[in-house]
Amino acid sequence: MKSKKQLILTYCSVYLICLLLTLGQAHAQSDNNGDRRITSSYYISNATVIPEPGIIHSNYDIIFKNGTISEIGKNLTIPKDAKEIKGESLFVYPGFIDLGNKSGVEIPVLPERPEDFDTSNPIPELAGIHPHFSAAKHYQFNEKIEEDWRGLGFTIVQKIPEGKGMLPGLTTLVVMGHEGNNNLLTENPSQFFQFNTVRGVYPHTKLAVMAKWRDLFQNTVLYREHMAIYAKNKGIGRVEFDPVLNALIPVTQNQTPLLIAPKSELDTRRALKMLEENNFKLVLLGINEGAELIPILHSKKVGVVLNLALPEDKFSDSLDNDEQGTDYDARIERARKAFLEPLSLASKYEKAGIPFAFTSMDLEKKDFYSNLRLMIDNGLSKDAALAALTMNPAKILGIENISGSIAPGKMANLILMTDSLFSKDGKVSMVVSDGYLFDYPDNISSGKLGSQVWNYATETPVGQSKGTWEFVKKDDKWEGTVSYDSPKGTGVKKAKMENLELTDESLSFSFIVETNDDVLDVTVDGVIKKNNKFEGSMNIKGYTQFTVQATKDEKPNKDHE
Amino acid sequence: MNKKRLLLAGLLIWLSAQVYAQENHSGDLLIKNAQVITITNGTLENTDVLVKKGIITEIGTNLKASKNVKIVDASGQYLMPGIIDAHSHLALEIINEASSPVTSEVQMSDVIDPFDISIYRALAGGTTITHAMHGSANVIGGQNVTLKLRYGTKDPNRLIMEEAPRTIKFALGENPTRVHGIGKNLQPRSRMGVEAVIRNGFEEALQYKAVWEKWNLEKQKKEINTAPPKFNSRLQTLVDILDGEIIVHCHSYRADEIYMLIEVCKEYGVDKIVFSHVNEGFKVAPELAKYTMGASVFSDWWAYKFEVYYSTAYNAAILTKNGVVTSINSDSDELVRHLYHEAAKTQRYGGLTDDEALALITINPAKQLGIGDYVGSIEVGKQADLVLFDKHPLSIYAIPQMTWVDGIMYFDRKSDQDDQRIKINIKRSPDPFRLSTGAHDCMQDVEMLFTDNYHH
Repeated sequence: MKSKKQLILTYCSVYLICLLLTLGQAHAQSDNNGDRRITSSYYISNATVIPEPGIIHSNYDIIFKNGTISEIGKNLTIPKDAKEIKGESLFVYPGFIDLGNKSGVEIPVLPERPEDFDTSNPIPELAGIHPHFSAAKHYQFNEKIEEDWRGLGFTIVQKIPEGKGMLPGLTTLVVMGHEGNNNLLTENPSQFFQFNTVRGVYPHTKLAVMAKWRDLFQNTVLYREHMAIYAKNKGIGRVEFDPVLNALIPVTQNQTPLLIAPKSELDTRRALKMLEENNFKLVLLGINEGAELIPILHSKKVGVVLNLALPEDKFSDSLDNDEQGTDYDARIERARKAFLEPLSLASKYEKAGIPFAFTSMDLEKKDFYSNLRLMIDNGLSKDAALAALTMNPAKILGIENISGSIAPGKMANLILMTDSLFSKDGKVSMVVSDGYLFDYPDNISSGKLGSQVWNYATETPVGQSKGTWEFVKKDDKWEGTVSYDSPKGTGVKKAKMENLELTDESLSFSFIVETNDDVLDVTVDGVIKKNNKFEGSMNIKGYTQFTVQATKDEKPNKDHE
Repeated sequence: MNKKRLLLAGLLIWLSAQVYAQENHSGDLLIKNAQVITITNGTLENTDVLVKKGIITEIGTNLKASKNVKIVDASGQYLMPGIIDAHSHLALEIINEASSPVTSEVQMSDVIDPFDISIYRALAGGTTITHAMHGSANVIGGQNVTLKLRYGTKDPNRLIMEEAPRTIKFALGENPTRVHGIGKNLQPRSRMGVEAVIRNGFEEALQYKAVWEKWNLEKQKKEINTAPPKFNSRLQTLVDILDGEIIVHCHSYRADEIYMLIEVCKEYGVDKIVFSHVNEGFKVAPELAKYTMGASVFSDWWAYKFEVYYSTAYNAAILTKNGVVTSINSDSDELVRHLYHEAAKTQRYGGLTDDEALALITINPAKQLGIGDYVGSIEVGKQADLVLFDKHPLSIYAIPQMTWVDGIMYFDRKSDQDDQRIKINIKRSPDPFRLSTGAHDCMQDVEMLFTDNYHH
């Protein structure tokens, strides 16, 4: 199998080099150029291990080989070929499991609409009804897309199929492993269902989605019945193959869960109504409101996946006085309460004793940890939050035998954190996924992925000048500002960088300084050395050139947190 | 943090109060000394009405109630049955499934919106029951649902009036021909096409019924010798219409099309049919009286498109005098708040008596919805859907004071709050200009895709 070749992924190599040279921590897993891994056998030494929520082991070792955990415990006998990952001061958690993720899934190619297309009676594929499609067929692992999810701690992700209509297809599971491998896990797909439609054809609204579902369900049952009769009696006429009904058979037989994505509590009620009318296994994906439904979901044994996305704080927008009206304060107060509701929803599920998972389906990646902390601030316990990212999704997905906790025999999916999970200083330092190591040094060295702060100093004829360079990554593009002592003597000034080019090895940019009687065009250019030091020159156009030195700030976002 | 906790605690208390209100499904109540407008038995002076578990148990004088029963002193005030609106799109998330000329399979009970603030506004206008209908984009639209305005619940099913029979929306004339004929080049493009769509539907339904009857017999045999048929809830619903299990409520304007459907229904043995809007109903009043369950009209709304030019405010009176079970409906979240004004117009245009005028918004719509045995008048044994007015409800100065559904008070003018929303939409800002709900209409959810014009 190609998968177990000793290849190290190319995208990761940059990180590995970084890590090798800067942190000296995970130096064991590759050769110098990072292209080839020496072994697939590792051990994490002397770490604080949280194998599942509520259990903490200090000074534990974890041995894993070929992607599987072989042993965990104290003072283990280390196999000779195992390379060490120093776990001292690190916290090791089971890798997270996400449900309802869509990144990297392509929109399936649909048949062309014929010229005499009848919108009232379209073929199922053009009506958004293609349960016979599968996300597995429309997903290609792409490290560029997946590295950020993995960087948050996700190691197994349920990919939902793309499609505008009610039945887009089967889900598939992906392990966030080596790009060179086929990372699909074939276990337990779900049939994805949404109240959305293609619009403009039948079914056009939720009204017809509900009706269509009833018909599809009944006809699937009849389709099965037809097959059963035909098996005994060939005289009745063959069963004409129907890909849609065929794909729904496992749902009607309670084998494949129907994964319904409600957008509101009324949608959730609709899903419950569907369940009342027909028997199937129901998992609700992305619940974001409706706390009073908790007892019903509990009694019906519905799988619950809560939404990690939280509402934006809009209630604090204030209006001009003349727009406010008489009951403005009361309305703002109610809006504020309503805003707080989703923040405490997870804690209410916890109190009701419903094991729930989380979905990132509507989440912006940058909000992942901050939203979890918000939920924790609003009553969710850290253990329940961890369970919702590990054990519970494993159970809902039916993969608890291979994932969801740190135990021998399970997949080597681990998160190494610099501090305890959900604490302010806890950063993902490394993720082990499918037994492969992925370092996230940026998380640690620059606080937040995509932002850097450098302190610079330059010797000028009139003495030393100091300031900072701040860089923020927006849409994969760096933007920067430079601060400097005002030549007018009025304190510190800031300017936007132009022509910015920032890589791991070099940095150049220009900016403009206004003096009392001139506008100076300044260019900075130089190299970034391996110890987070910059050396280069500052060129003032038409005047002179100075040398500049700068050092990268290790934790630029302290105040932020 | 502490502040957040406090807010949260407050929220929980509020929520539990909501839950409590929901669990209280029927009420006990004694209304004393009212002018009781029974509709079916004249007006009773200084009369008491006793309600137990949501049902009117006694009407008389000097009635006594057990200890904990709430007593309302209605001296000098007018008590009438809750107003019933036979044509409404209130409390619906979606109105039209405009994608096919026949959508009899869709059910409005799937899209009830219990958070619609218009429910409360309707209660404030004395309305206790609305007929939540599919729109008029399709010749045969969806199955409607009769709602009791039990505002405060978050459960859509709690609004459904369980005793109400099934009803379905039909629509004739310009709306379906514009949406499907002009908009999508499908049948119907003309009034002839509308008739053809209905006939084809009924014919297919008859075939469907035969196929299933055959299969149900076959299934009981030891050896099955045919394949099972396909299930089709669209045709099954049409079968149910032909079997008399569903009342047809048909959007219509012109006399010719009304008469057309009467003839088609006679042919297929369908006698449970009510015509809505019926602006030219006065031209076919005897036929409506003889062959239908009635007509539900606007008081004086016309000329908003070509097919509604030939109209008169005397329509309701003419129909009534011809023995048609007539009601006045709102078809609007605004009109539903003052249907008693609409009813009063029939005294100016047609000189109807008080009881005749008030029957237009109480017992008559109740009959049209098949719920006349349960509501629509103040009688012992009926459900206690009541509204108390300070003056006679046909007076322009009358203002509803209290409204009860099943003996539970859902509106009290004295405790009316500025903000009666059940749910706050946090996706919106608390901007006051966005607080009002949009007006619903017959052609809502019919996108530009289907039609360039946009009318009721």
